[in-house]
Amino acid sequence: MTADIEIRNVSKHFGAMTVLDDLSLSIKAREFIVFLGPSGCGKSTLLRMIAGLETVDTGEIAINNERIDHLPPGKRGIAMVFQSYALYPHMSVRDNMAFGLENIGMPRDVIDARIKESARILEMEHLLERKPGQLSGGQRQRVAIGRAIVKEPKAFLFDEPLSNLDAALRTRTRIELAQLHQRLQSTMIFVTHDQVEAMTLADRIVVMNNRKIEQIGSPMEIYDRPATKFVAGFVGAPAMNFVEATLDRSSRNATARFADGVSVQTEIASGQTSDGKYTFGIRSEDVGIVPVGQGNADGVVDVLERLGERTLVYARLGDGQQIVGSDAGNSRVAVGDKVGLAFDGRKSHLFGETGRAWHAGEV
Amino acid sequence: MRAPTISIKGRAFGDRVLLALVILLSLVMVAPVLWVIGLSLKENAELMANPNSVFQAPYTLKNYINTIGTSSVFVWVRNSIIVSGGLTLGTLILSSLAGYGFARLNFPGRNVLFVIVLFGLAVPEQAVLVARHQIFSMLNFHNTYHGLILPGLSASFGVFLMTQYFKAIPKELDEAAMLDNASRFRTFWKVLLPLTVPAQATLGIFTFLGAWNDYLWPLISATKKDMYTLTVGMASTQTNFAQSEGIGFLMAQAVFAGAPILIVYLFFQKYIVTAVSGAAVR
Repeated sequence: MTADIEIRNVSKHFGAMTVLDDLSLSIKAREFIVFLGPSGCGKSTLLRMIAGLETVDTGEIAINNERIDHLPPGKRGIAMVFQSYALYPHMSVRDNMAFGLENIGMPRDVIDARIKESARILEMEHLLERKPGQLSGGQRQRVAIGRAIVKEPKAFLFDEPLSNLDAALRTRTRIELAQLHQRLQSTMIFVTHDQVEAMTLADRIVVMNNRKIEQIGSPMEIYDRPATKFVAGFVGAPAMNFVEATLDRSSRNATARFADGVSVQTEIASGQTSDGKYTFGIRSEDVGIVPVGQGNADGVVDVLERLGERTLVYARLGDGQQIVGSDAGNSRVAVGDKVGLAFDGRKSHLFGETGRAWHAGEV
Repeated sequence: MRAPTISIKGRAFGDRVLLALVILLSLVMVAPVLWVIGLSLKENAELMANPNSVFQAPYTLKNYINTIGTSSVFVWVRNSIIVSGGLTLGTLILSSLAGYGFARLNFPGRNVLFVIVLFGLAVPEQAVLVARHQIFSMLNFHNTYHGLILPGLSASFGVFLMTQYFKAIPKELDEAAMLDNASRFRTFWKVLLPLTVPAQATLGIFTFLGAWNDYLWPLISATKKDMYTLTVGMASTQTNFAQSEGIGFLMAQAVFAGAPILIVYLFFQKYIVTAVSGAAVR
């Protein structure tokens, strides 16, 4: 079973504080949607409103064109996996999974069959008689997902479900979740502040900040064509390099000029831009490390991060601005070296004072 | 190799001193009980002639046979079981419901009401005794089981303990139950209440022991002999029968009186230890 979810002009206030402000979003059936944003941006509140754990102040939420925002959580046909898993500690895994089905009066044989099937999918048949306290973090996570699966919900909601796992287990569970989505073909909404989880899992990412949606798009759209400076800075590790710049719009494509005289020829049409202050943005992989004098600017290496397949080079420009560039995995650059930085204008971005973005190659 | 040996020896010596102290303290605690049992097995005339005869044979079960035949101790034990059991059950039910309400429900005046409940902790029983006696007298509640049980049900400590315990249970469990289509009562009954068993055990044990040992209110409320609780009954026996019926007979009654509480202790030993040590609160 799967469902379209429609969120229309939804707002939420806690006392005088606005948590979500006139927010609209369409989620297609079978889509894996990730709400991504920093703490306090309202992403968990939005998820909890879909679940029915928070009321909707204004606006409406519909599943398959039926309004559900007035329904109690149990009547919405959705299942949720909590950050803390929220397994019932005194019940066995089997009872945890059966509880929701017993509450709707499902016959025992159907419940048993569903539990068996879910346990098989999640490879946890051997855990059914254990209590949550006897399980590892990863196993608890699995049970929490199993408890959601048995309900055969219209949509799955995940509230930062990987944040309590260690790094290795988090990666493995991430892959398993992606496989589970492929297998179940259900609508899934996943809340996280981890952009790697968002990039790897999502069909579409909803980037949220400050009570609003900043951008909705596929992971690569979000990465390559961030709609705002916030999105550009939030998605991607290390964060995109930002430098204050003015524009020389005398030729067909605009040239960004930094305060210390460095200039970068972009592939952003001058005609698209206007006069005023801009922020030039470029990702670390688009800043090459070259011999001194051969790039757009020279800098002194502050820090090196060797990631194996590449080396991140943190270099400081003459005016103190730090730029992160990328060099080969076996880079011979050392801390304190002077290096040239070659900005790839074809991959550059410009952000206006309102945060609006222009990207190289846009017509 | 030498240092650890000294350390182990040192520790062994410390352990022995501790053990000796524990044995000594245990003897201090157990000696009166053994004395009571000893006295209950002796003829009164023999004890009157020589108080130290408790340590010498012959021993007899005559006092126990007399107790079974003539004493009201069984009635008093029954009354105490009904009063303590009823009070414990009532307190657990009311405190759990109130605790859940204070911890989980939003209702007008909740905080004020909770402060009033806490205030109940500060009011000594003696302060309300006269008023309560008058009210119960008007209601004809004296010399009834509910007259003995009702006052104890206003258990501020129980409400406070259960409120804190419910507050400590993550709200995600309520939310998970809501998503699992459970009603509020089913969430309370099937999800939250089972998690409060340690607190229930603590509260239940303290309430039961408190009610079992309570003397003041039963002394006022139960004036008829067949409504006496054990404490009141035993006290009346000491005054009236100690000389005539004999100390051995009195002690046999005491042994009977102590038996139920000993059984309670044997059953709930684990919980009592954690309750007294405070470990069960979390």
